[in-house]
Amino acid sequence: MRASSPERWQQVLANSAYADALRSRDSSINAFLEIDTDRRHSHGDGTSPAAAGPLAALPLAVKDNIAVRGFGLTCGSRILANHISPYDATVVARLVAAGMVPVGKTNLDEFGMGSATEHSIAGPTNNPWDADRVAGGSSGGSAAAVAAGMVPLALGTDTGGSVRQPAAFCGIYGLKPTYGTLSRYGLVAYASSLEVAGLLSRDLAILRAAYEAASGADVMDQTSVSLPDAASRPSDEVRRVAFLGGELGLDQRTAAAYRRMRDVVAATGAAVEDIELVTAEAVVPAYYTIAAAEASANLARFNGVRYGERPVFAENPEALVRQARTEGFGDEVKLRILLGTYVLRSGFQEQYYQRAQRVRTAIRRELASVFARHDLLVLPVYPTAAFRHGEAELTAFQQKLADRFTTLANLAALPALSVPGGVCDGLPVGIQAIGPAFSEARLMRFAELAAAELPPQRPPGYEIELCDEVIPGGRT
Amino acid sequence: MSYRSFVGLEIHIQLATRTKVFCGCRAAFGDEPNTNICPVCAGYPGALPALNEDAMLKSYVVARALNCRLSPVCEFERKNYFYPDLPKNYQISQFAAPLGRDGYLDLEFRRRRKRVRIRECHLEEDAGKMIHAGDQSLLDFNRAGTPLLEIVTEPDLEIGEEAEHLLQEFRRLVRYLGVCDGNMEEGSLRCDANVSVNEERAGLGTKVEIKNMNSFRFVRKALDYEIDRQQDILGRGGTIVQETRLWNENRDVSESMRVKESSNDYRYFPEPDLPPFQTDDAFLAAVESSLVELPPERTARFVSQYELQPAQASFLCDERGSADFFEAAVAAGAQPSDAAVWLMGDVQKLLNRSGTQLTGSPLTPERLAELLVLLATGRIHGKLAKQTLEAVFTDDMDPRQIIAERGWEQITDPAAIGKIVDAVLTEQHEAVAQIRSGDSRPHGYLVGQVMRATSGRADPRLVQRVLEERLALQFIQVLGFGGAISGSRREDGVVVPGSLESLIRSLRGDPALPADIRYDELDLGGFLSEEVSPRDWALLIHAIARHAATGDTSGIVIATGTDTLSYTAALLSWLFGASLPIVLTASATTGDTAESRESLRHAVQTAVSSAPGVSVVFGAERYPAVNLKFERVPGESGEGAFRTWNRHGVPEPRVGLWTSFQGSSGTQDLSGSAPDIPDAQMLAGRLEDAARRIFVTKVFPGMSAQALVALIDAGVRYFVLELYDTGTASVRETPFSLRHALEYGHRHDVTFFCTSQQEADVDFSTYVTSHDLWRGGAIPMGTLTTESVYTRLLAVLLTGVAGDGSDPDAVAHIMESG
Amino acid sequence: MDRSEIDLTAELALLDMDSDERDRLERGVLELLEYFAAMNAVDIRGLEPTTHALQEGNRLRPDDPRTDPSIADDILEQAPDLEDRFIAIPNVL
Repeated sequence: MRASSPERWQQVLANSAYADALRSRDSSINAFLEIDTDRRHSHGDGTSPAAAGPLAALPLAVKDNIAVRGFGLTCGSRILANHISPYDATVVARLVAAGMVPVGKTNLDEFGMGSATEHSIAGPTNNPWDADRVAGGSSGGSAAAVAAGMVPLALGTDTGGSVRQPAAFCGIYGLKPTYGTLSRYGLVAYASSLEVAGLLSRDLAILRAAYEAASGADVMDQTSVSLPDAASRPSDEVRRVAFLGGELGLDQRTAAAYRRMRDVVAATGAAVEDIELVTAEAVVPAYYTIAAAEASANLARFNGVRYGERPVFAENPEALVRQARTEGFGDEVKLRILLGTYVLRSGFQEQYYQRAQRVRTAIRRELASVFARHDLLVLPVYPTAAFRHGEAELTAFQQKLADRFTTLANLAALPALSVPGGVCDGLPVGIQAIGPAFSEARLMRFAELAAAELPPQRPPGYEIELCDEVIPGGRT
Repeated sequence: MSYRSFVGLEIHIQLATRTKVFCGCRAAFGDEPNTNICPVCAGYPGALPALNEDAMLKSYVVARALNCRLSPVCEFERKNYFYPDLPKNYQISQFAAPLGRDGYLDLEFRRRRKRVRIRECHLEEDAGKMIHAGDQSLLDFNRAGTPLLEIVTEPDLEIGEEAEHLLQEFRRLVRYLGVCDGNMEEGSLRCDANVSVNEERAGLGTKVEIKNMNSFRFVRKALDYEIDRQQDILGRGGTIVQETRLWNENRDVSESMRVKESSNDYRYFPEPDLPPFQTDDAFLAAVESSLVELPPERTARFVSQYELQPAQASFLCDERGSADFFEAAVAAGAQPSDAAVWLMGDVQKLLNRSGTQLTGSPLTPERLAELLVLLATGRIHGKLAKQTLEAVFTDDMDPRQIIAERGWEQITDPAAIGKIVDAVLTEQHEAVAQIRSGDSRPHGYLVGQVMRATSGRADPRLVQRVLEERLALQFIQVLGFGGAISGSRREDGVVVPGSLESLIRSLRGDPALPADIRYDELDLGGFLSEEVSPRDWALLIHAIARHAATGDTSGIVIATGTDTLSYTAALLSWLFGASLPIVLTASATTGDTAESRESLRHAVQTAVSSAPGVSVVFGAERYPAVNLKFERVPGESGEGAFRTWNRHGVPEPRVGLWTSFQGSSGTQDLSGSAPDIPDAQMLAGRLEDAARRIFVTKVFPGMSAQALVALIDAGVRYFVLELYDTGTASVRETPFSLRHALEYGHRHDVTFFCTSQQEADVDFSTYVTSHDLWRGGAIPMGTLTTESVYTRLLAVLLTGVAGDGSDPDAVAHIMESG
Repeated sequence: MDRSEIDLTAELALLDMDSDERDRLERGVLELLEYFAAMNAVDIRGLEPTTHALQEGNRLRPDDPRTDPSIADDILEQAPDLEDRFIAIPNVL
């Protein structure tokens, strides 16, 4: 086995065997909702002069809540089961402009609401490390596709950990950038003030190149921001590192990996300090209050009138809309819509939504004080490694409580990177670093430091990436 | 029980931006359905709003023009409700932090000044349109996302008419600012209202919301209906239900709109997709520089700077385009007064006829100025100027070019005209002989012959002058119109109608009068002035119009009686303005007295020497034609028996309503021989019709409302009510007050114009009863006397300037703009 | 939470529920609302709400029309029911 190079990935689309190999490999994982490697004609063919860089001709998997013109945009929901997007998300358009070629849409929890990629009309995605286990969520399809060597890079969305947690469960890198640095235009909104497009890859160089190509202010998204110039961005020094201390409620694998990571960082000569957050207990409540509130409005547009599924028969507009929504949304989505509607209602809004907005301010302030003293905050991504399908190990409610490490970065709009923290007892564990705004370079530097001791590993059975499988001479 | 009503408006205007408020789709009306749509305005998954900077600028400009506090930071919020025409099922709007607050709009309605407070202005997005067809509804999202500015007033308005007036003022404002075309029919200006009625001094009542008022007229009707409805309920001891009602324009009623309780919670929260907008110095400077001089200020400036009459200034300033046009024409050399007269008269007439707008028409300010300079310098005369103006519109050419190409340049060479006149006089020796014998009637015929010989190009004034020189005549038309001055006293002492002939004879050879003046009496029938009927007025008007059109006289003297002189004088003044010198005179004694002779002689002198306009000569005194009161003081022999009321507020019309006469073809035969003026029979019919619809009465203690109601039932549509003082009358809840008549009249499109029994300025601002009159829709006529108001109303209805008189608003508008 | 509150909330969200689903969802909502009480432990006195965590001053779009003539037709292609260029929905009066 040898590491496949970006150069080999750049040749894979020229090989007619790729599409079949992709489908074949996906049959046991169910990472993709749709595969079409020939769509390149409508998205450039990687030979244009602008596309001569490191991303040229690289296949790209896109989470199915991100618009790609001509592809479906189901969001894993019945209500959009047959919807085709007439336009490209800005991040997709930018990666395409850099030469990348969308080859398929990946599975997810319906509208990004979940931690397991099980709440989807397409059924669950299996973890390449253990098909009995979940790939994480909600960008589980994207994480599994990368982990199983099907694509070198996948796009996901991270509202409360949806890129980092599946990346951790699948043993790859998952970047949740600073809020606004990747345009949200074309991301089907779940919680607008929290989410951002994210990148998943096993290759840090590709990850970095994709981030540089896709980031920057977008006229179509007025919450997007341009990156500060290099001089005013945080340095990439990793000298003072805070680790989240205290009782974290981790499973054995995660606890071990977390300790190991602390040692690895300390060994680089960085000053390591354990800290605790006084707002910790309020993080998940604030997150779910805000996310549900925004979701209740964001999902109101799905009514079966202008697009999407509608009932065969209805007498009047209201009946049509009721039925379209009642039949079109799954349980978890309905739960969050109801919750979000409730916390916004007059009489309850102050107690829930408005309080959560102020708690969010308290959380941001506390993190700001952490970054006044530390370059990075390192903490687990999730309390457990990939869990088994179904709710036997973690109920839906417990899965929400388990978002306590990831939602922090979303509430504070800060960048966070999930890095492979080794494989324990057959399952990978991810550890994340959170940095101040625009410190993506520092996070990648941290990833490089960790990779020296804890390089990303491939799941058993998927040791050979598809580019090496289909290109003659690829295997060694 | 006395009630107060409180009306607040929620006005929506579509801002005239090129693109929608949150996407780059064209914001246009009337395109094919669903052509101006994109993922953003169609509410597609993943699409995000992107705020249009021009929408923000225009919004702040309106807020600034409404004297609002401009928010340094304004935020967008989501207003959540489901409706099929609302793509996202939430509307991006503003709630907690609107862009402007606490403004005001100064309003003057029926002489009552008021500051209407503006609660807030906020920017939001429009929804799409849903129409019903068969068993389905059809959706068009072209309109979805059009920038919509909502302006919310405090409940400072009281009646439908006033709300309509505010809306019209507001429309003028936004059109001036260029931020909205204000078209209610196309929905670029929309208005909802809240109405509450309560007992006097009890504060606001229960609020009812009124929607679906799709025109200015419906706003007024719906609000008045709602005020009446609530007042009725309260009057019967009932309670008002808080609800939303829809105006049904087909049935002229409002109907309750059932809404679910749950749909009232809009769950506003900050729009996460749009950062708050913050004003900065550059933006505020752009707001300031987008402000323009607004209609009230501009109107006032036109009066002072260009010395225009208020009515002219307000006509010109009604649209920014016409005010700009006027100022450009003046800058290009036109005399301001000429430009105003032409723009209001002939230009407007041509625009009405072709149904076009001034801006964008072939007539540019430069062309108008050129035309008026040609006219003022005598290169063309009035009739040719009108013809040239028409040619500008039809052929899109410069006036100078038109007259050069068509040889329309006026013949102003006295020698050339003299030759033609001599030829005509030689040929028409019979007419000349007739004139020399003292019968001036063929004079107009001779003028016509000269004009015909020059194809209408001769300067008519010059023709007139040359003819007068050749015939050694100056014509003053004396018209006998009843009155003691032309009557005589029977042996039993009773005054009977007579003729002026002997009086005129006695003036012949009067050394105090120029020797070359002759008289031409047109006898309108023997009557005394108290016997004047509409038919007599019609004959008089017809005669004056004919003389004015042929230009065969230097002035007109009308000998009439004192009783109705103040009516006839005002009527002629409203109709003919300053078209030619018209002097009315009368005498307190019969024609055979020295006093009568003196009055007539003075009148003739005045007609010869004065500028065009209607005036009155009585004894040695001269008065303006309007607001004259005949006040005989016992013991004095008529001297000083006329007095002008409110002398400082008396209008002296320059452009008479006659110039806007609707119904004649409006074209004139350039030969000058047969001016096209309406038939006297037709005038008589119209005046009689008008008189039947008007009733004049003073209010008095014990006046029965039922009597007025009977008059309304008998067809009276316009009352001139002479109130006690500055605007007081009884409006108590009794059968002997105006209240019931006002309410009944209101429901039957009856208008009450109010004057005073005193020499006062009626403005309804002083007493609580006058406030009730104002609320009842009565119109205070300020300083005008009853006679002036009645005759103005006659003139308006006769000339048809306000249509056929069935639209009370149009009539009221012209009455008030006098 | 009052029992009728879940029904009123569902009305606002235009969602119908059968009784099983209603009970399930009500339990789920209640469970989370109770959990949200943890926010009460945070001292938020004097704190402004965070509505936009990372804000870069004004963002405005120039008032220039976009020119993508095909997008409107692409959008209509996604409509479940069309009547000419109108999007149609049933409405039996």
